[in-house]
Amino acid sequence: MTKFIAETYQNEFLPVDGAEVNAIVTVTSLGGAVAAEPVAAAEVIIIDTSGSMSMPGAKLRAAQRATAAAIDSTRDDVLFAVVAGTERARLIYPDAFGLAPASEATRAEAKEALGGLTANGGTAIGSWLELANELFNDAPDAIRHAILLTDGRNQHETPEQLEKVLETCGGRFQCDCRGIGTDWEVSELRRVASALLGSVDIIAEPSEMEGDFRSMMEQAMGKATADVSLRLWTPQGAEVAFVKQVAPTIEDLTARATRVDAQSGDYPTGAWGEESRDYHLCIRVQPREIGDEMLAGRIGLVVDGQAVSQALIKAVWTDDEQLSTRINREVAHYSGQAELAELIQEGLEARKAGDEGTAGLKLGRAVQLAGESGNDATMRLLEGVVEVEDVATGTVRLRQDVDDADEMALDTRSTKTARVLDPKK
Amino acid sequence: MTVSCPQGHASATSDYCDQCGAKIDGSSAGQITEVLEIPPADVTSITEADRCPDCGAPNVASDRFCEGCGYDFETGTPGETSTSPAAGARAWEAVLVADRAYFDRVSPGGIEFPADTPAREIVLDRDELRIGRGRGADPDPPDIDLASDPAVSRLHATLVRQEDGSYAVVDQGSTNGTRLNDEPEAIEVGAPVPVAAGDRIHVGVWTTITLRLRPS
Repeated sequence: MTKFIAETYQNEFLPVDGAEVNAIVTVTSLGGAVAAEPVAAAEVIIIDTSGSMSMPGAKLRAAQRATAAAIDSTRDDVLFAVVAGTERARLIYPDAFGLAPASEATRAEAKEALGGLTANGGTAIGSWLELANELFNDAPDAIRHAILLTDGRNQHETPEQLEKVLETCGGRFQCDCRGIGTDWEVSELRRVASALLGSVDIIAEPSEMEGDFRSMMEQAMGKATADVSLRLWTPQGAEVAFVKQVAPTIEDLTARATRVDAQSGDYPTGAWGEESRDYHLCIRVQPREIGDEMLAGRIGLVVDGQAVSQALIKAVWTDDEQLSTRINREVAHYSGQAELAELIQEGLEARKAGDEGTAGLKLGRAVQLAGESGNDATMRLLEGVVEVEDVATGTVRLRQDVDDADEMALDTRSTKTARVLDPKK
Repeated sequence: MTVSCPQGHASATSDYCDQCGAKIDGSSAGQITEVLEIPPADVTSITEADRCPDCGAPNVASDRFCEGCGYDFETGTPGETSTSPAAGARAWEAVLVADRAYFDRVSPGGIEFPADTPAREIVLDRDELRIGRGRGADPDPPDIDLASDPAVSRLHATLVRQEDGSYAVVDQGSTNGTRLNDEPEAIEVGAPVPVAAGDRIHVGVWTTITLRLRPS
């Protein structure tokens, strides 16, 4: 069985009347030293075949090649299907409704079925996900994962319709979403990926798609443990201000809690391979006397309904200001990364609305934070949108000739965080 | 069993009250981080069937391989470090040094090289060993503890025994990466990279780990 380790980083000292307890919890899944039995997995690949996918035709052809590469990356016996999406969803493979076990023969058949695809029609993402969800009924015990590729906005159904489907599909399967070109809506796809515990990214050039699909698939095949939840216990009278995943990407989990009992809630985190994720927890407690120590939270991991590991979040009240004013390094770092993501999203919104003053200030501060925290990937993306004059003071000039793809890449990847600063830089 | 907390609540947990969170006297204090592996409920009753027939280590998690010696419960094959002297396989060991040349190459400045740090040797006696930075009160310190190197992550990497008895290094998502020999690029996170005798594994800002077979 996969081994999980949970570690807490916090400054547990609170000043007189202090009520807010912050902690970063790092959860690491070590996997086994030896390969476990391959886990049952199910995979549905959904590709947009709306009319716009043929403009240019290279998009559809690249999607076909990428899907073929993804099919080639499936392990034997993984149950899979391919869905083509327009204003409705159509099962391309297998012929009979359901999922097919991957083998040399079925992979070849699926790739042949792909070849016949044409691009014609609209976009209704909810209907595609609904079909995937029905197909997954075939694999109740497998780790269920989908890849969704689209090039446009969800025009042929209402946001309410999509939201309803997301509610049904949440917790049923995970879905990594990719937007190709620049005519899709970042916020829309982010919403889908977030509800289905998946990633979202832009594929600017059709030629990048094949490699991206292959790596998404390899990652999906690397998941060994399905359905891991964080279980947070808090004392009576305490309130959970937020629970956020902060690495590798920012994802607010606060509203996703399901109650276990009066004092505990479970937050879903999906399937895990050998990886490490960080969570920022903020808990408000009732202040106590100087010198008192209390447990502000007990965070455990629940794997397939069984508790496997736990870490403690504490609070100690002190009148020593040296102790209580110290901000834990990890907490400070991730507070900065969350602010960075917000600044980028707000800055880009202001820029779109024509408010260059606000955009310059927000993106300038973002440059400063990216520099301080060593988030080089985000810094490079920022440089596509602003000319950086001075990182330390956050002095920037908005570029006038910004490539749409650069702007969307910055927006899409704004939630990707760096881990604690690399001292070599 | 319940214990009584200072506020008078009956608590099923004995470290802190499971109702109000108050610290219950007698529990370990002053420790920020706690790593707990909660074994299955029947851990108190390990029967002979749950023990490794080769080295006697308990196998509470029903793993295929014995944590003590690598004995294969399915096939009955003894592990690499079988306690029977007949096995005769030579063990590997890791040599840890504070490496001045490596430090000079990567140090960002502001960090002092630890002069007079003697080399350490650690026998690799398990299927998996954790390389990391332990803390004072760590209940489960890393097997290869590089507490003094400031650029080593808590759980930096693991050494994983391969089928042939040699080891591979796996970076566990460390902040600063794991490098082999003079490669400028860090190895990929999560991907095992086999290490031959004499290969240098660089972690942190001055640590170089070299693997070698123990002199027999």
